[in-house]
Amino acid sequence: MKTDTVVEFDVALIERARRGDAKAFERLYRDHVGRVHGLCLRMTRNPDLAADCVQDAFIKAWKALPKFEARASFSTWLHRIAVNTVLEKRRGPANAEIAVEDPTVHEEPAMSFDSPVEEEELEAAIESLPQGARDALVLCGVYGYEHSEAASMLGIAVGTCKAQLHRARGLLKERLERGVR
Amino acid sequence: MNRRIKRIDELAQDIPPPRDLWQGISAAIEADKAAAAAPAQKQSGRRSFWMPAAGLAASVLLVALGVFIGQIIGNKRGPLDDGVAQTVPAPRNENTPELRHAKYTNQREELLREVNAKLATMPPADRAKVAASLETLSKSIKDIEAALGHDPANALLQELLVSSCQEEMRALTAVRDSGREEI
Repeated sequence: MKTDTVVEFDVALIERARRGDAKAFERLYRDHVGRVHGLCLRMTRNPDLAADCVQDAFIKAWKALPKFEARASFSTWLHRIAVNTVLEKRRGPANAEIAVEDPTVHEEPAMSFDSPVEEEELEAAIESLPQGARDALVLCGVYGYEHSEAASMLGIAVGTCKAQLHRARGLLKERLERGVR
Repeated sequence: MNRRIKRIDELAQDIPPPRDLWQGISAAIEADKAAAAAPAQKQSGRRSFWMPAAGLAASVLLVALGVFIGQIIGNKRGPLDDGVAQTVPAPRNENTPELRHAKYTNQREELLREVNAKLATMPPADRAKVAASLETLSKSIKDIEAALGHDPANALLQELLVSSCQEEMRALTAVRDSGREEI
């Protein structure tokens, strides 16, 4: 969680960047690029494409800065732009693989495992998930977004997002068990 | 190090890119700032990219339509007059004198008169297609002229305008000459 001081510093940088200060924007880039790249890499599963998405997302962010509302989270705003960029590059909606919409699927707590798993093994299992399920898992599970936020970023219904996350958890558990044994 | 974790939210959120991506971003920002600062482009920083692109698209359309008109003329049936008046667009506002000189304007107006006369003798279906295509040609040239209005020094747009006007003249000539083959 960012401290108030850091957030205030961000606000000052954003204000300077909005006035055309590229140095301030570079500082914002350096502070946020790791998270944006992590998100793009997990969504695209392709390092080159992820790098393209990161560049495009920051360029779009620079151009859209005048529209950014100071009361919103810059990080979330940036992630929204990044997700949108990934979806554009895929040239299709995030839920193209399956059209699941089940509002009765209940909210589940953050996913935990019975026994510790190696990070690399978990990343590989996430990478192997179908696109829609992976997107929901990355946004909600790894980056901690609420279903409503993730659904809005992905352009899908909240029920679909919940169903995709539910599906992702099942597949992930199955694949991790299969991989371990 | 490959650490072991018990919760998915323990995965690292930050994954730095393998190379510094700032150079590309910085270059795009500088280009954006330069475009925004250019006097002829105050209204849109993207114009320098999109206007030539629009002009290029219009030019490609012109060539495609020229071919299309040629095909219609080539496959024409005998003359048929159903009395429906269908004309090509009126001459445009010639506002780029360095490219659209008086001789060209006069030739084009004369050609348009002959083409309008020729259209009246065409079968309705062919006439509609040719008239629509010529109108699109005319609109494409207007689009390029509009783009040049925003970026008058753009060499690519100037070249596109010249070649587009030539393409339009070829299409008009093809329509006019189709009548002569019938005689």
